[in-house]
Amino acid sequence: MTADQITKGAFAFIEDLIPSELTLHLMEMGFLPGKRIELLHQAPLQGPMAFKLENSVIALRHSEAMLIQVQMDH
Amino acid sequence: MSEITIPTNTSTFSVALVGNPNVGKTTIFNRLTGLRQKVGNYPGVTVDKRRGAMQAGHNNVTIIDLPGTYSIYPNTEDEIIVHRVLNGLDEENQPDFVLAIVDMSSMERGLFLVSQVMDLGLPMAIVLNMEDTAENQGIVIKTHQLYKALGVPIIQSNARSDKSLKSIEELITNKSFAKPQPFLNPEDLLPDSLANTVNKEFNLANAYQAFQLIRFHESEVLLKKYQKDFIREKIAEANFDLKEAQVRETKLRYKAIQDILKQCTEYKDIKTKKLTQQLDKIFLHKVGGYVVFLGVLLLIFQAIFAWSTIPMDLIDGFFASFSGWVYETMPAGVLTDLIAEGIIPGIGGVLIFIPQIALLFGFLAILEDSGYMSRVVFLMDRLMRPFGLNGKSMVPLISSVACAIPGIMAARNIGNWKDRITTIMVAPLMSCSARLPVYVILIALAVPDENVGPFNLQAIALLGMYLLGIVAVLLVSIVFKLILKSKEKSFLMLEMPLYRLPKAKDVAITMFTKSRTFVLAAGKIILAISVVLWVLASYGPSSRMEAAIASIEVPEANADQEVIDDYNSQISSVELENSYIGIAGKFIEPVIRPLGYDWKIGIALITSFAAREVFVSTIATLYSVGADVEDELTIREKMDQEVNPQTGEKVYNIATSFSLIVFYAFAMQCMSTLAVVYRETNGWKWPIIQTAYMTAMAYVSAWAVYQLLS
Repeated sequence: MTADQITKGAFAFIEDLIPSELTLHLMEMGFLPGKRIELLHQAPLQGPMAFKLENSVIALRHSEAMLIQVQMDH
Repeated sequence: MSEITIPTNTSTFSVALVGNPNVGKTTIFNRLTGLRQKVGNYPGVTVDKRRGAMQAGHNNVTIIDLPGTYSIYPNTEDEIIVHRVLNGLDEENQPDFVLAIVDMSSMERGLFLVSQVMDLGLPMAIVLNMEDTAENQGIVIKTHQLYKALGVPIIQSNARSDKSLKSIEELITNKSFAKPQPFLNPEDLLPDSLANTVNKEFNLANAYQAFQLIRFHESEVLLKKYQKDFIREKIAEANFDLKEAQVRETKLRYKAIQDILKQCTEYKDIKTKKLTQQLDKIFLHKVGGYVVFLGVLLLIFQAIFAWSTIPMDLIDGFFASFSGWVYETMPAGVLTDLIAEGIIPGIGGVLIFIPQIALLFGFLAILEDSGYMSRVVFLMDRLMRPFGLNGKSMVPLISSVACAIPGIMAARNIGNWKDRITTIMVAPLMSCSARLPVYVILIALAVPDENVGPFNLQAIALLGMYLLGIVAVLLVSIVFKLILKSKEKSFLMLEMPLYRLPKAKDVAITMFTKSRTFVLAAGKIILAISVVLWVLASYGPSSRMEAAIASIEVPEANADQEVIDDYNSQISSVELENSYIGIAGKFIEPVIRPLGYDWKIGIALITSFAAREVFVSTIATLYSVGADVEDELTIREKMDQEVNPQTGEKVYNIATSFSLIVFYAFAMQCMSTLAVVYRETNGWKWPIIQTAYMTAMAYVSAWAVYQLLS
């Protein structure tokens, strides 16, 4: 599954990044395989999603979260 | 050869500050340099190169505050600047040393940038900032371990404390910078032979500089065509995959950084309830978040319109009485007229905006420094998408309520070209503070000062103009969305920093420097126009002028006062009509007639093309209200009394007044804005398009309004 399907408050591990022109941007922000992320907030109407990634909170659009392959962490 | 010795007390060197956004870089810059800063030519936020002077022992040090970035890959405008300066492509601004600022609570991303700077080989030092935040999050950095791993001087600091600042100052004074070893092995990035060839050709210092140049040669405007061809050829020869190399570099870098951080970082148990998370539950709430944002906007508007009237009235009153005093004190004559009617009201017309501009920039600084602005981006992104705008367009658009210039410059943070151009194109449609005096005076003429329920009609009309600006922004954005083509994908990706209390001193410095640049930049234009206008309105082709004056019947010597007064006013009226500016106004009259304007309004339109706020002072000069030129009531009364000599009807009837209001809402009447758009888009194409579409929009709308109402 991809990161846009994470529900609010749930955790997931990043498995891989789906190659795209945004891959480098995502890596620059710290979205790297093995990292654990948590969905903190979700703006209405499928707006941006705020993920907690280690010590920072980073907002991504749905279309960007779709590029991150994750495994849910139960 | 003997070394040239420079006396120590005059020798200077420069230090560039680099770091991620929100790491407290600007705070350090402000505290190192105080008010000895140079901020570009226009009022606004971070200009290309913010430079400041610092006295360090015997040295005069130049501190260069580079924009905050996550890497030196040149994606956004900000990153391009950092890329150029650090790669030595910008020869004027080559720093001697680099001071990298890293947020201790976000080491991995900070070190990514730091390790790239290390690979470029500039002598550097690292400041681990935000000690307090890291402490709150239970992060402990073993500085000595990190120093051993990186090999450059490192200090821990909390830039808000005086002790930390002293240690940074000492570091600079003692030049405790070290030339770093390459962080990554250059051979892992690109073949040695390729690096050597490019190094030799471009005279670069090391393999990583060659890598950067090779990677980004295509978009580097500073390179000549034959140079690009050379690089392209060498890439092909070496069979080198650019994109793949950059991905590999990123992965290698993170891997190396993570290995180092494992050795140097300790995480302690921390309190789960963090203030930021609690606040975000409210500020990012699906409903509550928008309510809070609306409240913040209302507060800002309340401040601009209500709170600032007191200082504005004081400034107004001061200049009115100053003009009067000059009239009474100085000998009557041309020079006195120029000073009292041209220069003093001109300066007053600029200074009167200071309270509003300062307050607005103060609020923006508070929103930015506190970390709230990125929440606004988060909330608004989805709502802006259908219009072809971006959540990041909010900052430029809100800033444009003060002045489009800082707004357009703030659009730099938008990484996507199409979103950025759209934002720049529509930002001047937001109702800026320069339109305010024009609206106030015209609304007073067109809308009765009556109440409907608890609401004042004139206040509603003014609010309506702000809404009209917003609607225009959204509609025009849709048009640009449909027209502009872009291969780039629009993206957001935005860090939401921890909330923190903005420091009063930083806000005050922002308010001061922004107001100062506004006064100096806008002031020069307004002042120049006031003087030029006064001269053009006072003189004309002498043969034409004399003939016109001679045509008026001179009253007899014993005529009573009324006749003489009438004669005098007729004289000044024909003098204006036959002055240079009068001739220009007459010339464009046929074009503006369908909008309901006469040649005098035409003059105001011509002068307003430099800056729209000139309207009021132009009207004031044209109707020669004398010493009370800045007293809007007097001007309004004069305008109200102005009649069309042919029809005997009021010039400023409802149709003409509304037509003018709408014209001023849409027309591109600000040279400074055009200059900034030119600079930000690197050419005349976009400023010309902007002027054309806004003028057309203004003309058509004003025409429609006039035809509807008359």
